[in-house]
Amino acid sequence: MIERWALVSGLRGDLETYDLVQRDLKKTRGVTALFVLGDLVGPERNCDALLDRLRNPHRGDLKPDCIYGWWEEQLLAERGFRGERKADALRLSQGEDAVSALLNAVNPSHLKWLASLQFGFIELDCALIHGSSSDVGDNLTSETSPLILLDRLTRLNVNRLFTARSTKQFHLELTGGGINSQVKDLNGKREQQQEVPKRSVIGIGAGLNYTLYDIGSDKTHFLTAGSKTNPKGKGFV
Amino acid sequence: MNHAIISCLHANLPAVEAVLNDIDKQGIDTITCLGDLVGYGPQPNEVVELIRKRGIATCQGCWDEDIIDGLNACECSYPSQLAERRGHLAHQWTDDQLTDENKSFLASLPTSLRRDRLLFVHGSPNSQHEYLLPDMDAFAALERVETAGADILFCGHTHQPYVRELRDGSIRVRLQNAEHGNDQGEELTLPMRKIVNAGSVGEPRHGSTNATYVIHNDATDEVEIKEVAYDVGRTCQAIVEAGLPKVFAWRLSHGFEFAEQAEDASHVCER
Repeated sequence: MIERWALVSGLRGDLETYDLVQRDLKKTRGVTALFVLGDLVGPERNCDALLDRLRNPHRGDLKPDCIYGWWEEQLLAERGFRGERKADALRLSQGEDAVSALLNAVNPSHLKWLASLQFGFIELDCALIHGSSSDVGDNLTSETSPLILLDRLTRLNVNRLFTARSTKQFHLELTGGGINSQVKDLNGKREQQQEVPKRSVIGIGAGLNYTLYDIGSDKTHFLTAGSKTNPKGKGFV
Repeated sequence: MNHAIISCLHANLPAVEAVLNDIDKQGIDTITCLGDLVGYGPQPNEVVELIRKRGIATCQGCWDEDIIDGLNACECSYPSQLAERRGHLAHQWTDDQLTDENKSFLASLPTSLRRDRLLFVHGSPNSQHEYLLPDMDAFAALERVETAGADILFCGHTHQPYVRELRDGSIRVRLQNAEHGNDQGEELTLPMRKIVNAGSVGEPRHGSTNATYVIHNDATDEVEIKEVAYDVGRTCQAIVEAGLPKVFAWRLSHGFEFAEQAEDASHVCER
Protein backbone atom coordinates (compact mmCIF):
# COMPACT_ATOMS: atom_id res chain seq x y z
CA MET A 1 0.00 0.00 0.00
CA ILE A 2 1.26 3.49 -0.88
CA GLU A 3 1.81 5.72 2.12
CA ARG A 4 2.83 9.30 1.53
CA TRP A 5 3.55 12.31 3.63
CA ALA A 6 2.83 15.83 2.41
CA LEU A 7 5.31 18.46 3.57
CA VAL A 8 4.50 22.15 3.38
CA SER A 9 6.17 25.31 4.67
CA GLY A 10 6.38 29.06 4.13
CA LEU A 11 2.64 29.70 3.94
CA ARG A 12 3.20 33.02 5.75
CA GLY A 13 -0.49 33.64 6.30
CA ASP A 14 -1.56 32.71 2.77
CA LEU A 15 -4.84 30.85 3.25
CA GLU A 16 -5.44 30.65 -0.49
CA THR A 17 -2.22 28.68 -0.99
CA TYR A 18 -3.06 26.38 1.89
CA ASP A 19 -6.49 25.78 0.40
CA LEU A 20 -4.90 24.83 -2.94
CA VAL A 21 -2.60 22.37 -1.17
CA GLN A 22 -5.52 20.78 0.65
CA ARG A 23 -7.42 20.44 -2.65
CA ASP A 24 -4.40 18.79 -4.25
CA LEU A 25 -4.07 16.36 -1.38
CA LYS A 26 -7.72 15.36 -1.61
CA LYS A 27 -7.01 14.21 -5.17
CA THR A 28 -3.81 12.37 -4.28
CA ARG A 29 -3.72 8.71 -3.30
CA GLY A 30 -2.12 7.52 -0.13
CA VAL A 31 -1.41 10.76 1.70
CA THR A 32 -1.66 9.87 5.37
CA ALA A 33 -0.07 12.89 7.02
CA LEU A 34 0.39 16.60 6.39
CA PHE A 35 3.37 18.25 8.08
CA VAL A 36 3.62 22.03 8.09
CA LEU A 37 7.26 22.80 8.77
CA GLY A 38 6.98 26.31 10.09
CA ASP A 39 6.68 29.82 8.72
CA LEU A 40 2.94 29.72 9.13
CA VAL A 41 3.10 33.46 9.67
CA GLY A 42 4.85 36.36 7.97
CA PRO A 43 4.66 40.13 7.75
CA GLU A 44 3.07 40.44 4.30
CA ARG A 45 -0.57 39.85 5.22
CA ASN A 46 -2.89 39.19 8.12
CA CYS A 47 -2.33 35.59 9.18
CA ASP A 48 -5.32 35.05 11.45
CA ALA A 49 -7.53 33.26 8.91
CA LEU A 50 -4.82 30.75 8.07
CA LEU A 51 -4.02 30.16 11.74
CA ASP A 52 -7.73 29.63 12.45
CA ARG A 53 -7.87 27.04 9.66
CA LEU A 54 -4.73 25.24 10.82
CA ARG A 55 -6.02 25.10 14.38
CA ASN A 56 -9.56 24.18 13.37
CA PRO A 57 -9.40 22.15 10.15
CA HIS A 58 -12.41 22.12 7.82
CA ARG A 59 -14.34 18.93 7.34
CA GLY A 60 -12.40 16.91 4.77
CA ASP A 61 -9.10 18.69 5.42
CA LEU A 62 -6.08 16.53 6.04
CA LYS A 63 -5.29 17.44 9.64
CA PRO A 64 -2.01 19.39 9.74
CA ASP A 65 0.80 18.68 12.21
CA CYS A 66 2.67 21.95 12.62
CA ILE A 67 6.05 22.96 14.00
CA TYR A 68 7.39 26.46 14.39
CA GLY A 69 9.71 28.14 11.90
CA TRP A 70 11.94 31.19 11.67
CA TRP A 71 9.09 33.68 11.42
CA GLU A 72 7.31 32.21 14.45
CA GLU A 73 10.60 32.35 16.34
CA GLN A 74 10.90 36.07 15.56
CA LEU A 75 7.29 36.75 16.53
CA LEU A 76 7.49 34.78 19.77
CA ALA A 77 10.80 36.36 20.73
CA GLU A 78 9.45 39.87 20.17
CA ARG A 79 6.29 39.02 22.14
CA GLY A 80 8.37 37.89 25.16
CA PHE A 81 8.06 34.11 24.76
CA ARG A 82 11.81 33.54 24.44
CA GLY A 83 13.14 35.01 27.66
CA GLU A 84 15.26 38.08 27.12
CA ARG A 85 15.68 37.48 23.40
CA LYS A 86 13.89 39.73 20.91
CA ALA A 87 13.40 39.52 17.15
CA ASP A 88 17.01 40.56 16.63
CA ALA A 89 17.59 38.48 13.50
CA LEU A 90 14.55 40.02 11.78
CA ARG A 91 15.39 43.51 13.00
CA LEU A 92 18.93 43.16 11.70
CA SER A 93 17.99 41.75 8.30
CA GLN A 94 14.79 43.65 7.46
CA GLY A 95 14.49 46.54 9.87
CA GLU A 96 12.03 47.85 12.39
CA ASP A 97 9.14 48.14 9.90
CA ALA A 98 9.23 44.39 9.29
CA VAL A 99 9.08 43.72 13.03
CA SER A 100 6.02 45.99 13.35
CA ALA A 101 4.37 44.39 10.32
CA LEU A 102 4.88 40.93 11.79
CA LEU A 103 3.39 41.93 15.14
CA ASN A 104 0.37 43.42 13.38
CA ALA A 105 -0.11 40.35 11.20
CA VAL A 106 -0.95 37.96 14.03
CA ASN A 107 -3.67 38.40 16.62
CA PRO A 108 -2.21 37.85 20.13
CA SER A 109 -4.89 35.21 20.74
CA HIS A 110 -2.79 32.84 18.58
CA LEU A 111 0.46 33.33 20.49
CA LYS A 112 0.01 30.63 23.11
CA TRP A 113 -0.78 28.07 20.42
CA LEU A 114 2.23 29.14 18.37
CA ALA A 115 4.41 28.94 21.48
CA SER A 116 3.19 25.39 22.08
CA LEU A 117 4.48 24.18 18.71
CA GLN A 118 7.48 21.88 18.72
CA PHE A 119 10.91 22.53 17.22
CA GLY A 120 10.58 19.43 15.05
CA PHE A 121 9.27 15.90 14.69
CA ILE A 122 11.08 12.59 14.48
CA GLU A 123 8.99 10.10 12.48
CA LEU A 124 10.42 6.71 11.55
CA ASP A 125 14.05 7.52 10.74
CA CYS A 126 13.24 11.02 9.50
CA ALA A 127 13.63 14.39 11.17
CA LEU A 128 11.16 17.09 10.14
CA ILE A 129 12.52 20.50 11.09
CA HIS A 130 12.22 24.03 9.74
CA GLY A 131 15.97 24.69 9.68
CA SER A 132 18.06 21.94 11.22
CA SER A 133 19.06 20.39 14.50
CA SER A 134 21.49 23.27 14.87
CA ASP A 135 19.06 26.17 14.59
CA VAL A 136 15.61 27.04 13.32
CA GLY A 137 17.29 29.51 10.98
CA ASP A 138 19.85 27.05 9.59
CA ASN A 139 19.67 27.56 5.82
CA LEU A 140 20.50 24.18 4.27
CA THR A 141 20.55 23.83 0.48
CA SER A 142 21.97 21.41 -2.05
CA GLU A 143 25.00 23.73 -2.14
CA THR A 144 25.68 23.42 1.59
CA SER A 145 28.88 21.57 2.45
CA PRO A 146 28.14 17.83 2.73
CA LEU A 147 30.18 17.88 5.93
CA ILE A 148 27.68 20.25 7.48
CA LEU A 149 24.72 18.24 6.14
CA LEU A 150 26.18 15.05 7.63
CA ASP A 151 26.72 16.84 10.93
CA ARG A 152 23.07 17.93 11.07
CA LEU A 153 21.94 14.35 10.38
CA THR A 154 24.38 12.92 12.91
CA ARG A 155 23.22 15.22 15.69
CA LEU A 156 19.73 13.75 15.38
CA ASN A 157 20.83 10.22 14.50
CA VAL A 158 18.36 10.08 11.62
CA ASN A 159 18.73 8.92 8.04
CA ARG A 160 16.67 11.70 6.46
CA LEU A 161 16.35 15.35 7.35
CA PHE A 162 13.47 17.32 5.83
CA THR A 163 14.20 21.03 5.97
CA ALA A 164 12.32 24.11 4.83
CA ARG A 165 14.29 27.21 5.75
CA SER A 166 15.96 27.66 2.36
CA THR A 167 12.55 27.50 0.56
CA LYS A 168 14.33 25.34 -2.07
CA GLN A 169 13.28 21.89 -3.23
CA PHE A 170 16.07 19.34 -3.43
CA HIS A 171 16.88 15.78 -2.42
CA LEU A 172 20.58 15.33 -1.76
CA GLU A 173 21.81 11.86 -0.97
CA LEU A 174 25.06 11.11 0.81
CA THR A 175 26.11 7.98 -1.01
CA GLY A 176 29.56 7.07 0.27
CA GLY A 177 32.98 8.10 1.45
CA GLY A 178 34.86 7.76 4.70
CA ILE A 179 37.44 9.18 7.05
CA ASN A 180 40.41 7.93 9.04
CA SER A 181 41.38 9.23 12.41
CA GLN A 182 44.13 8.59 14.89
CA VAL A 183 43.68 9.26 18.59
CA LYS A 184 46.72 9.64 20.80
CA ASP A 185 46.29 9.81 24.56
CA LEU A 186 48.24 8.78 27.63
CA ASN A 187 47.48 5.12 26.90
CA GLY A 188 48.98 5.20 23.40
CA LYS A 189 47.65 5.50 19.85
CA ARG A 190 44.67 3.94 18.13
CA GLU A 191 43.40 4.16 14.57
CA GLN A 192 39.76 4.47 13.60
CA GLN A 193 38.00 4.24 10.24
CA GLN A 194 34.49 5.48 9.65
CA GLU A 195 32.29 5.29 6.57
CA VAL A 196 29.67 7.77 5.46
CA PRO A 197 26.24 6.29 6.17
CA LYS A 198 23.65 6.48 3.40
CA ARG A 199 21.58 9.47 4.42
CA SER A 200 19.63 12.29 2.76
CA VAL A 201 18.70 15.90 3.25
CA ILE A 202 15.50 17.02 1.55
CA GLY A 203 14.47 20.61 0.98
CA ILE A 204 10.68 20.69 0.82
CA GLY A 205 10.10 24.13 -0.75
CA ALA A 206 7.79 26.89 0.40
CA GLY A 207 4.38 28.37 -0.37
CA LEU A 208 2.82 26.76 -3.43
CA ASN A 209 5.86 24.47 -3.83
CA TYR A 210 5.46 21.47 -1.59
CA THR A 211 6.74 17.91 -1.34
CA LEU A 212 5.27 14.44 -1.23
CA TYR A 213 7.37 11.70 0.30
CA ASP A 214 6.72 8.00 -0.36
CA ILE A 215 7.91 6.37 2.81
CA GLY A 216 7.94 2.90 1.26
CA SER A 217 10.11 3.73 -1.74
CA ASP A 218 12.04 6.65 -0.23
CA LYS A 219 11.09 8.81 -3.22
CA THR A 220 10.31 12.51 -3.09
CA HIS A 221 7.98 14.35 -5.46
CA PHE A 222 8.29 18.11 -5.79
CA LEU A 223 4.95 19.65 -6.66
CA THR A 224 3.25 23.01 -7.12
CA ALA A 225 -0.18 23.40 -5.59
CA GLY A 226 -2.95 24.06 -8.08
CA SER A 227 -0.75 23.28 -11.04
CA LYS A 228 -2.36 21.25 -13.81
CA THR A 229 1.04 20.44 -15.22
CA ASN A 230 2.76 18.62 -12.41
CA PRO A 231 5.34 16.85 -14.52
CA LYS A 232 4.99 13.26 -15.55
CA GLY A 233 7.95 11.02 -15.00
CA LYS A 234 8.44 12.05 -11.39
CA GLY A 235 6.32 9.21 -10.14
CA PHE A 236 3.37 11.22 -8.91
CA VAL A 237 -0.29 10.64 -9.72
CA MET B 1 58.14 27.69 19.20
CA ASN B 2 56.57 25.71 22.00
CA HIS B 3 53.49 27.02 23.75
CA ALA B 4 51.48 25.45 26.56
CA ILE B 5 47.73 24.99 26.79
CA ILE B 6 46.00 24.42 30.12
CA SER B 7 42.32 23.88 30.87
CA CYS B 8 39.78 23.09 33.58
CA LEU B 9 41.68 24.43 36.58
CA HIS B 10 38.63 24.11 38.84
CA ALA B 11 39.84 26.15 41.78
CA ASN B 12 42.60 23.66 42.59
CA LEU B 13 45.50 25.92 43.55
CA PRO B 14 48.16 23.24 44.29
CA ALA B 15 47.54 21.68 40.86
CA VAL B 16 47.68 25.03 39.06
CA GLU B 17 50.90 26.02 40.83
CA ALA B 18 52.51 22.68 39.99
CA VAL B 19 51.58 22.89 36.31
CA LEU B 20 52.73 26.50 35.92
CA ASN B 21 55.97 25.57 37.64
CA ASP B 22 56.44 22.67 35.20
CA ILE B 23 55.81 24.98 32.23
CA ASP B 24 58.21 27.60 33.60
CA LYS B 25 60.95 25.01 34.03
CA GLN B 26 60.78 24.32 30.29
CA GLY B 27 61.22 27.96 29.44
CA ILE B 28 57.80 28.27 27.81
CA ASP B 29 56.39 31.75 28.16
CA THR B 30 53.27 31.54 25.98
CA ILE B 31 50.43 29.92 27.88
CA THR B 32 46.78 29.73 26.85
CA CYS B 33 44.05 28.74 29.28
CA LEU B 34 40.80 27.19 28.04
CA GLY B 35 38.65 28.20 30.98
CA ASP B 36 36.84 26.65 33.94
CA LEU B 37 39.02 28.48 36.42
CA VAL B 38 36.45 27.82 39.12
CA GLY B 39 33.96 25.18 40.22
CA TYR B 40 34.28 21.99 42.31
CA GLY B 41 37.52 23.10 43.96
CA PRO B 42 38.17 25.03 47.19
CA GLN B 43 40.31 28.02 46.03
CA PRO B 44 38.41 29.92 43.32
CA ASN B 45 39.71 33.39 44.21
CA GLU B 46 43.30 32.24 44.54
CA VAL B 47 43.25 30.52 41.14
CA VAL B 48 41.57 33.43 39.32
CA GLU B 49 44.04 35.87 40.89
CA LEU B 50 47.02 33.74 39.89
CA ILE B 51 45.85 33.61 36.26
CA ARG B 52 45.25 37.36 36.29
CA LYS B 53 48.62 38.06 37.89
CA ARG B 54 50.43 35.93 35.29
CA GLY B 55 48.49 37.60 32.46
CA ILE B 56 47.60 34.25 30.90
CA ALA B 57 45.36 34.54 27.83
CA THR B 58 42.15 32.79 28.83
CA CYS B 59 38.81 31.97 27.26
CA GLN B 60 35.64 31.43 29.23
CA GLY B 61 34.62 27.95 30.37
CA CYS B 62 31.15 26.66 31.16
CA TRP B 63 31.66 27.10 34.91
CA ASP B 64 32.95 30.64 34.44
CA GLU B 65 29.92 31.39 32.26
CA ASP B 66 27.44 29.88 34.70
CA ILE B 67 28.85 31.84 37.63
CA ILE B 68 28.24 35.03 35.67
CA ASP B 69 24.99 34.21 33.87
CA GLY B 70 23.42 31.84 36.39
CA LEU B 71 22.61 28.20 35.97
CA ASN B 72 20.52 28.10 32.84
CA ALA B 73 22.22 25.42 30.80
CA CYS B 74 19.97 22.64 29.54
CA GLU B 75 19.97 19.14 31.01
CA CYS B 76 23.09 18.18 29.06
CA SER B 77 25.36 19.78 31.64
CA TYR B 78 25.06 16.92 34.11
CA PRO B 79 24.85 13.21 33.40
CA SER B 80 22.70 12.36 36.42
CA GLN B 81 20.41 13.85 39.03
CA LEU B 82 22.95 13.39 41.81
CA ALA B 83 25.71 14.97 39.72
CA GLU B 84 23.43 17.91 39.04
CA ARG B 85 22.66 18.33 42.75
CA ARG B 86 26.36 18.26 43.63
CA GLY B 87 27.10 20.68 40.79
CA HIS B 88 24.49 23.13 42.04
CA LEU B 89 25.94 22.98 45.57
CA ALA B 90 29.39 23.74 44.21
CA HIS B 91 27.98 26.52 42.04
CA GLN B 92 26.32 28.21 45.04
CA TRP B 93 29.45 27.84 47.19
CA THR B 94 31.67 29.27 44.46
CA ASP B 95 29.26 32.12 43.82
CA ASP B 96 29.35 33.01 47.53
CA GLN B 97 33.15 32.90 47.69
CA LEU B 98 34.16 34.78 44.55
CA THR B 99 34.90 38.47 44.90
CA ASP B 100 33.14 40.96 42.63
CA GLU B 101 36.46 41.80 41.02
CA ASN B 102 37.12 38.18 40.14
CA LYS B 103 33.58 37.75 38.85
CA SER B 104 34.13 40.78 36.61
CA PHE B 105 37.27 39.14 35.28
CA LEU B 106 35.38 35.92 34.46
CA ALA B 107 32.65 37.98 32.77
CA SER B 108 35.24 39.71 30.61
CA LEU B 109 36.66 36.49 29.14
CA PRO B 110 36.04 35.77 25.44
CA THR B 111 34.42 32.49 24.39
CA SER B 112 37.27 31.77 21.99
CA LEU B 113 40.80 32.87 21.16
CA ARG B 114 42.40 32.62 17.74
CA ARG B 115 46.03 32.75 16.67
CA ASP B 116 46.30 32.35 12.92
CA ARG B 117 45.13 28.80 12.18
CA LEU B 118 44.88 27.80 15.83
CA LEU B 119 41.54 28.13 17.62
CA PHE B 120 41.19 27.87 21.39
CA VAL B 121 37.81 27.14 23.03
CA HIS B 122 36.59 25.50 26.22
CA GLY B 123 34.07 22.94 24.92
CA SER B 124 33.61 23.39 21.18
CA PRO B 125 33.26 26.31 18.78
CA ASN B 126 29.48 25.87 19.19
CA SER B 127 29.22 26.01 22.96
CA GLN B 128 31.22 25.99 26.16
CA HIS B 129 28.99 23.08 27.20
CA GLU B 130 29.57 20.76 24.24
CA TYR B 131 31.86 17.77 24.83
CA LEU B 132 34.28 16.80 22.07
CA LEU B 133 35.12 13.31 23.26
CA PRO B 134 38.02 11.41 21.70
CA ASP B 135 35.81 8.81 20.03
CA MET B 136 32.93 11.00 18.90
CA ASP B 137 31.71 10.74 15.32
CA ALA B 138 34.73 11.67 13.20
CA PHE B 139 32.74 13.68 10.65
CA ALA B 140 31.02 15.69 13.39
CA ALA B 141 34.42 16.31 15.00
CA LEU B 142 35.86 17.48 11.68
CA GLU B 143 32.84 19.72 11.10
CA ARG B 144 33.54 21.54 14.38
CA VAL B 145 37.10 22.37 13.31
CA GLU B 146 36.39 23.09 9.64
CA THR B 147 33.30 25.27 10.19
CA ALA B 148 35.27 27.33 12.70
CA GLY B 149 37.91 27.98 10.03
CA ALA B 150 40.76 26.42 12.00
CA ASP B 151 43.47 23.88 11.24
CA ILE B 152 43.91 22.87 14.85
CA LEU B 153 41.23 23.17 17.51
CA PHE B 154 42.34 23.25 21.14
CA CYS B 155 39.64 22.36 23.66
CA GLY B 156 39.10 21.07 27.17
CA HIS B 157 35.87 20.35 29.08
CA THR B 158 36.10 16.53 28.90
CA HIS B 159 38.98 16.37 31.42
CA GLN B 160 40.55 13.70 29.21
CA PRO B 161 43.64 14.79 27.27
CA TYR B 162 44.03 13.55 23.71
CA VAL B 163 45.23 14.46 20.24
CA ARG B 164 42.98 13.44 17.36
CA GLU B 165 44.08 13.67 13.76
CA LEU B 166 41.29 13.50 11.16
CA ARG B 167 42.51 12.68 7.65
CA ASP B 168 41.85 11.04 4.26
CA GLY B 169 38.20 12.07 4.44
CA SER B 170 35.71 12.23 1.60
CA ILE B 171 31.95 12.39 1.13
CA ARG B 172 30.14 11.40 -2.07
CA VAL B 173 26.82 13.06 -2.81
CA ARG B 174 24.14 12.68 -5.47
CA LEU B 175 21.26 14.98 -6.24
CA GLN B 176 17.99 13.12 -6.68
CA ASN B 177 15.19 14.86 -8.57
CA ALA B 178 17.60 17.34 -10.09
CA GLU B 179 15.75 20.21 -11.72
CA HIS B 180 17.74 20.05 -14.93
CA GLY B 181 18.00 16.55 -16.28
CA ASN B 182 20.14 13.76 -14.89
CA ASP B 183 21.07 13.18 -11.31
CA GLN B 184 24.49 14.57 -10.49
CA GLY B 185 27.12 12.88 -8.40
CA GLU B 186 30.27 14.38 -6.95
CA GLU B 187 32.85 13.75 -4.27
CA LEU B 188 34.09 16.21 -1.69
CA THR B 189 37.61 15.70 -0.43
CA LEU B 190 37.88 16.71 3.21
CA PRO B 191 40.89 18.52 4.65
CA MET B 192 43.15 17.11 7.34
CA ARG B 193 42.45 18.69 10.71
CA LYS B 194 43.46 18.14 14.33
CA ILE B 195 41.71 18.39 17.71
CA VAL B 196 43.87 18.75 20.80
CA ASN B 197 42.26 18.33 24.20
CA ALA B 198 44.33 19.69 27.05
CA GLY B 199 42.70 17.52 29.71
CA SER B 200 42.37 19.07 33.14
CA VAL B 201 44.76 20.73 35.55
CA GLY B 202 42.47 20.80 38.56
CA GLU B 203 40.20 17.80 38.19
CA PRO B 204 41.71 15.03 36.05
CA ARG B 205 39.38 12.26 34.92
CA HIS B 206 41.74 10.20 32.78
CA GLY B 207 42.40 7.56 35.40
CA SER B 208 45.32 9.20 37.18
CA THR B 209 45.49 11.86 39.86
CA ASN B 210 48.12 13.81 37.93
CA ALA B 211 47.24 17.17 36.43
CA THR B 212 47.48 17.29 32.64
CA TYR B 213 48.22 19.93 30.03
CA VAL B 214 49.65 19.97 26.50
CA ILE B 215 52.58 21.54 24.71
CA HIS B 216 52.24 22.37 21.02
CA ASN B 217 55.09 23.27 18.72
CA ASP B 218 53.73 25.68 16.14
CA ALA B 219 56.54 24.96 13.69
CA THR B 220 56.19 21.16 13.61
CA ASP B 221 52.63 20.83 14.94
CA GLU B 222 53.89 18.16 17.34
CA VAL B 223 51.79 17.88 20.49
CA GLU B 224 52.98 16.45 23.79
CA ILE B 225 50.57 15.52 26.56
CA LYS B 226 52.15 16.29 29.91
CA GLU B 227 51.31 14.86 33.34
CA VAL B 228 52.29 16.65 36.52
CA ALA B 229 52.05 15.24 40.04
CA TYR B 230 50.92 17.62 42.77
CA ASP B 231 49.82 17.48 46.39
CA VAL B 232 46.37 15.95 45.88
CA GLY B 233 45.90 15.44 49.61
CA ARG B 234 46.22 19.16 50.27
CA THR B 235 43.39 19.96 47.86
CA CYS B 236 41.22 17.10 49.12
CA GLN B 237 41.59 18.34 52.67
CA ALA B 238 40.67 21.88 51.61
CA ILE B 239 37.55 20.54 49.83
CA VAL B 240 36.38 18.77 52.96
CA GLU B 241 37.18 21.74 55.19
CA ALA B 242 35.27 24.08 52.88
CA GLY B 243 32.15 21.93 53.26
CA LEU B 244 32.02 21.03 49.57
CA PRO B 245 30.64 17.57 48.66
CA LYS B 246 33.18 14.96 49.74
CA VAL B 247 32.76 13.13 46.46
CA PHE B 248 34.79 15.92 44.84
CA ALA B 249 37.74 14.93 47.05
CA TRP B 250 37.13 11.24 46.29
CA ARG B 251 37.14 12.02 42.58
CA LEU B 252 40.42 13.91 42.80
CA SER B 253 42.05 11.11 44.77
CA HIS B 254 41.06 8.57 42.05
CA GLY B 255 41.39 10.69 38.91
CA PHE B 256 38.13 9.30 37.64
CA GLU B 257 34.39 9.75 38.10
CA PHE B 258 32.28 7.20 36.33
CA ALA B 259 29.08 9.19 36.69
CA GLU B 260 30.62 12.23 35.04
CA GLN B 261 31.05 10.62 31.64
CA ALA B 262 29.11 12.60 29.06
CA GLU B 263 27.09 10.26 26.89
CA ASP B 264 25.99 12.41 24.01
CA ALA B 265 28.94 14.05 22.42
CA SER B 266 26.91 15.39 19.54
CA HIS B 267 24.41 17.23 21.69
CA VAL B 268 24.53 20.99 21.55
CA CYS B 269 23.19 22.83 24.55
CA GLU B 270 20.18 24.91 23.39
CA ARG B 271 20.36 27.37 26.26
